[in-house]
Amino acid sequence: MKRIEVRLSLPVVAPLLDVIKGLVADLQSAPAAPVSPPDPDDEFSSEWTRDLVAAQSSDVEVLLSLFGAEFFTEGVVHFDQSNAEAIARSCSAVRLRVRERHLKGLSDESLEAGEVDLSKLDEGVRRSFTCYLFLATIQELIIQHLDESIIGS
Amino acid sequence: MSSPSGKSNPLSQPQAASELQLETPWRVVVLNDPVNLMSYVVLVFKKVFGFDETKARKHMLEVHEQGRSVLWSGTRETGEAYVFTLQQWHLTAILEPDEAH
Repeated sequence: MKRIEVRLSLPVVAPLLDVIKGLVADLQSAPAAPVSPPDPDDEFSSEWTRDLVAAQSSDVEVLLSLFGAEFFTEGVVHFDQSNAEAIARSCSAVRLRVRERHLKGLSDESLEAGEVDLSKLDEGVRRSFTCYLFLATIQELIIQHLDESIIGS
Repeated sequence: MSSPSGKSNPLSQPQAASELQLETPWRVVVLNDPVNLMSYVVLVFKKVFGFDETKARKHMLEVHEQGRSVLWSGTRETGEAYVFTLQQWHLTAILEPDEAH
Protein backbone atom coordinates (compact mmCIF):
# COMPACT_ATOMS: atom_id res chain seq x y z
CA MET A 1 0.00 0.00 0.00
CA LYS A 2 1.37 3.37 -1.03
CA ARG A 3 1.93 5.67 1.92
CA ILE A 4 3.24 9.17 2.12
CA GLU A 5 4.78 10.77 5.15
CA VAL A 6 4.88 14.52 5.57
CA ARG A 7 6.94 16.35 8.15
CA LEU A 8 5.31 19.57 9.28
CA SER A 9 6.50 22.48 11.37
CA LEU A 10 4.69 22.22 14.68
CA PRO A 11 4.85 25.96 15.51
CA VAL A 12 3.42 26.80 12.08
CA VAL A 13 0.70 24.15 11.93
CA ALA A 14 -0.53 24.15 15.56
CA PRO A 15 -2.29 27.55 15.25
CA LEU A 16 -3.96 26.35 12.05
CA LEU A 17 -5.40 23.37 13.92
CA ASP A 18 -7.12 25.85 16.22
CA VAL A 19 -8.92 27.28 13.16
CA ILE A 20 -10.04 23.78 12.12
CA LYS A 21 -11.09 22.79 15.64
CA GLY A 22 -13.07 26.00 15.94
CA LEU A 23 -15.23 24.89 13.02
CA VAL A 24 -15.80 21.27 14.04
CA ALA A 25 -19.09 21.82 15.88
CA ASP A 26 -20.37 23.74 12.87
CA LEU A 27 -19.32 20.97 10.49
CA GLN A 28 -21.05 18.41 12.69
CA SER A 29 -24.36 20.23 12.39
CA ALA A 30 -24.68 21.46 8.79
CA PRO A 31 -23.31 20.57 5.35
CA ALA A 32 -20.34 22.70 4.27
CA ALA A 33 -21.48 23.11 0.67
CA PRO A 34 -24.89 24.28 -0.55
CA VAL A 35 -27.26 21.33 -0.51
CA SER A 36 -30.28 20.96 -2.74
CA PRO A 37 -32.14 17.72 -2.10
CA PRO A 38 -33.83 16.72 -5.36
CA ASP A 39 -37.15 16.10 -3.63
CA PRO A 40 -38.91 18.96 -1.77
CA ASP A 41 -40.58 16.54 0.62
CA ASP A 42 -39.59 17.59 4.15
CA GLU A 43 -38.83 14.11 5.39
CA PHE A 44 -36.76 13.30 2.31
CA SER A 45 -34.83 16.59 2.59
CA SER A 46 -34.15 16.10 6.31
CA GLU A 47 -32.86 12.58 5.80
CA TRP A 48 -30.75 13.68 2.82
CA THR A 49 -29.13 16.48 4.85
CA ARG A 50 -28.72 14.30 7.95
CA ASP A 51 -26.88 11.63 5.95
CA LEU A 52 -24.58 14.25 4.38
CA VAL A 53 -23.77 15.74 7.78
CA ALA A 54 -23.06 12.28 9.24
CA ALA A 55 -20.63 11.51 6.40
CA GLN A 56 -19.02 14.93 6.75
CA SER A 57 -18.58 14.51 10.53
CA SER A 58 -16.96 11.14 10.02
CA ASP A 59 -14.52 12.59 7.46
CA VAL A 60 -13.61 15.48 9.76
CA GLU A 61 -12.82 12.98 12.54
CA VAL A 62 -10.35 11.29 10.19
CA LEU A 63 -8.73 14.66 9.44
CA LEU A 64 -8.41 15.49 13.14
CA SER A 65 -6.92 12.05 13.84
CA LEU A 66 -3.94 13.00 11.66
CA PHE A 67 -2.90 15.47 14.30
CA GLY A 68 -2.61 13.15 17.26
CA ALA A 69 0.27 12.29 19.58
CA GLU A 70 2.71 11.40 16.78
CA PHE A 71 2.22 14.77 15.16
CA PHE A 72 2.83 16.61 18.43
CA THR A 73 5.97 14.59 19.24
CA GLU A 74 7.45 13.94 15.78
CA GLY A 75 5.74 16.58 13.61
CA VAL A 76 4.81 13.85 11.13
CA VAL A 77 1.52 12.94 9.45
CA HIS A 78 0.77 9.96 7.18
CA PHE A 79 -1.56 9.55 4.23
CA ASP A 80 -2.46 6.24 2.63
CA GLN A 81 -5.38 4.41 1.03
CA SER A 82 -7.14 4.10 4.38
CA ASN A 83 -7.46 7.83 5.02
CA ALA A 84 -6.78 9.68 1.73
CA GLU A 85 -10.37 9.87 0.51
CA ALA A 86 -11.83 11.07 3.81
CA ILE A 87 -9.06 13.62 4.26
CA ALA A 88 -9.40 14.99 0.71
CA ARG A 89 -13.15 15.43 1.31
CA SER A 90 -12.80 16.90 4.78
CA CYS A 91 -10.20 19.43 3.57
CA SER A 92 -12.82 20.57 1.08
CA ALA A 93 -15.48 20.85 3.80
CA VAL A 94 -13.23 22.81 6.14
CA ARG A 95 -12.04 25.13 3.34
CA LEU A 96 -15.65 25.89 2.39
CA ARG A 97 -16.45 26.70 6.01
CA VAL A 98 -13.29 28.79 6.51
CA ARG A 99 -14.24 30.75 3.40
CA GLU A 100 -17.76 31.31 4.66
CA ARG A 101 -16.92 32.14 8.27
CA HIS A 102 -13.55 33.90 8.18
CA LEU A 103 -12.67 35.04 4.66
CA LYS A 104 -15.79 36.94 3.65
CA GLY A 105 -13.74 40.08 3.09
CA LEU A 106 -11.71 38.46 0.32
CA SER A 107 -13.08 38.30 -3.21
CA ASP A 108 -13.62 35.01 -5.02
CA GLU A 109 -11.23 36.21 -7.72
CA SER A 110 -8.37 36.96 -5.32
CA LEU A 111 -8.84 33.63 -3.55
CA GLU A 112 -8.96 31.65 -6.80
CA ALA A 113 -5.86 33.42 -8.10
CA GLY A 114 -4.09 33.20 -4.73
CA GLU A 115 -3.44 36.92 -4.97
CA VAL A 116 -3.87 37.94 -1.38
CA ASP A 117 -1.51 40.33 0.36
CA LEU A 118 -0.94 38.68 3.73
CA SER A 119 0.60 41.83 5.19
CA LYS A 120 -2.73 43.63 4.79
CA LEU A 121 -4.75 41.04 6.71
CA ASP A 122 -5.34 41.19 10.42
CA GLU A 123 -3.96 38.34 12.52
CA GLY A 124 -7.16 36.25 12.68
CA VAL A 125 -7.87 36.49 8.94
CA ARG A 126 -4.23 35.78 8.12
CA ARG A 127 -4.31 32.61 10.23
CA SER A 128 -7.58 31.51 8.60
CA PHE A 129 -6.22 32.17 5.13
CA THR A 130 -3.04 30.25 5.93
CA CYS A 131 -5.21 27.37 7.14
CA TYR A 132 -7.19 27.57 3.87
CA LEU A 133 -3.93 27.27 1.90
CA PHE A 134 -2.57 24.55 4.18
CA LEU A 135 -5.63 22.36 3.57
CA ALA A 136 -5.32 22.94 -0.19
CA THR A 137 -1.71 21.78 0.00
CA ILE A 138 -2.79 18.59 1.77
CA GLN A 139 -5.37 17.99 -0.95
CA GLU A 140 -2.79 18.57 -3.68
CA LEU A 141 -0.39 16.12 -2.03
CA ILE A 142 -3.07 13.46 -1.81
CA ILE A 143 -4.23 14.02 -5.38
CA GLN A 144 -0.66 13.97 -6.69
CA HIS A 145 0.39 10.80 -4.87
CA LEU A 146 -2.73 8.84 -3.97
CA ASP A 147 -5.36 9.60 -6.60
CA GLU A 148 -5.18 6.05 -7.99
CA SER A 149 -5.82 4.70 -4.49
CA ILE A 150 -8.90 6.89 -4.19
CA ILE A 151 -10.26 6.17 -7.67
CA GLY A 152 -9.65 2.44 -7.31
CA SER A 153 -11.17 2.10 -3.84
CA MET B 1 -70.87 15.74 -12.68
CA SER B 2 -67.78 13.67 -12.28
CA SER B 3 -65.65 12.43 -15.07
CA PRO B 4 -63.76 9.16 -15.28
CA SER B 5 -60.76 11.00 -16.66
CA GLY B 6 -57.77 11.44 -14.37
CA LYS B 7 -58.03 15.22 -14.36
CA SER B 8 -61.05 15.34 -12.08
CA ASN B 9 -59.80 12.62 -9.76
CA PRO B 10 -57.51 14.24 -7.20
CA LEU B 11 -56.00 10.92 -6.22
CA SER B 12 -54.81 10.18 -9.73
CA GLN B 13 -52.85 13.42 -10.16
CA PRO B 14 -49.96 12.72 -7.79
CA GLN B 15 -49.62 9.29 -9.33
CA ALA B 16 -49.47 10.79 -12.82
CA ALA B 17 -46.94 13.35 -11.63
CA SER B 18 -44.79 10.70 -10.05
CA GLU B 19 -44.97 8.52 -13.18
CA LEU B 20 -43.85 11.53 -15.19
CA GLN B 21 -40.96 12.09 -12.75
CA LEU B 22 -39.83 8.52 -13.21
CA GLU B 23 -40.16 8.51 -17.00
CA THR B 24 -38.63 11.90 -17.80
CA PRO B 25 -34.86 11.81 -18.22
CA TRP B 26 -33.02 13.77 -15.55
CA ARG B 27 -29.60 15.27 -15.61
CA VAL B 28 -26.93 15.80 -13.01
CA VAL B 29 -25.42 19.29 -13.17
CA VAL B 30 -22.41 20.57 -11.24
CA LEU B 31 -22.21 24.31 -10.56
CA ASN B 32 -19.07 26.35 -10.10
CA ASP B 33 -17.78 27.26 -6.68
CA PRO B 34 -14.76 29.45 -5.91
CA VAL B 35 -13.29 27.18 -3.23
CA ASN B 36 -12.72 23.66 -4.55
CA LEU B 37 -9.45 23.12 -6.38
CA MET B 38 -9.54 22.28 -10.08
CA SER B 39 -7.47 19.15 -9.44
CA TYR B 40 -9.92 18.11 -6.72
CA VAL B 41 -12.92 18.51 -9.03
CA VAL B 42 -11.15 16.42 -11.69
CA LEU B 43 -10.48 13.73 -9.08
CA VAL B 44 -14.13 13.69 -8.01
CA PHE B 45 -15.38 13.35 -11.60
CA LYS B 46 -12.97 10.48 -12.22
CA LYS B 47 -13.99 8.77 -8.99
CA VAL B 48 -17.76 9.25 -9.21
CA PHE B 49 -18.37 8.84 -12.95
CA GLY B 50 -15.37 6.74 -13.95
CA PHE B 51 -14.24 9.39 -16.44
CA ASP B 52 -10.71 9.35 -17.81
CA GLU B 53 -8.45 12.35 -17.17
CA THR B 54 -9.35 14.08 -20.45
CA LYS B 55 -13.10 13.85 -19.99
CA ALA B 56 -12.96 14.78 -16.31
CA ARG B 57 -10.81 17.81 -17.13
CA LYS B 58 -13.16 18.89 -19.95
CA HIS B 59 -16.13 18.90 -17.55
CA MET B 60 -14.12 20.66 -14.83
CA LEU B 61 -13.20 23.44 -17.29
CA GLU B 62 -16.83 23.73 -18.37
CA VAL B 63 -17.83 24.22 -14.72
CA HIS B 64 -15.05 26.74 -14.20
CA GLU B 65 -15.58 28.76 -17.38
CA GLN B 66 -19.33 28.46 -17.98
CA GLY B 67 -20.50 28.07 -14.38
CA ARG B 68 -22.05 24.62 -14.91
CA SER B 69 -21.60 21.31 -16.64
CA VAL B 70 -24.00 18.45 -17.30
CA LEU B 71 -22.25 15.35 -16.04
CA TRP B 72 -24.81 12.67 -16.60
CA SER B 73 -28.35 12.05 -17.87
CA GLY B 74 -30.74 9.19 -17.16
CA THR B 75 -33.23 7.93 -14.63
CA ARG B 76 -34.18 10.04 -11.63
CA GLU B 77 -33.23 7.40 -9.08
CA THR B 78 -29.69 7.02 -10.40
CA GLY B 79 -29.39 10.79 -10.80
CA GLU B 80 -30.33 11.27 -7.16
CA ALA B 81 -27.60 8.85 -6.13
CA TYR B 82 -25.03 10.77 -8.19
CA VAL B 83 -26.13 14.12 -6.74
CA PHE B 84 -25.89 12.74 -3.21
CA THR B 85 -22.38 11.40 -3.84
CA LEU B 86 -21.24 14.69 -5.40
CA GLN B 87 -22.63 16.59 -2.42
CA GLN B 88 -20.74 14.20 -0.13
CA TRP B 89 -17.63 15.42 -1.96
CA HIS B 90 -18.83 19.01 -1.30
CA LEU B 91 -19.48 19.93 -4.90
CA THR B 92 -22.57 22.01 -5.68
CA ALA B 93 -24.65 19.50 -7.62
CA ILE B 94 -28.28 19.59 -8.67
CA LEU B 95 -30.74 17.30 -10.44
CA GLU B 96 -32.90 18.83 -13.15
CA PRO B 97 -35.24 17.57 -15.87
CA ASP B 98 -33.43 16.91 -19.12
CA GLU B 99 -35.39 19.22 -21.37
CA ALA B 100 -33.58 18.00 -24.46
CA HIS B 101 -35.86 14.93 -24.37
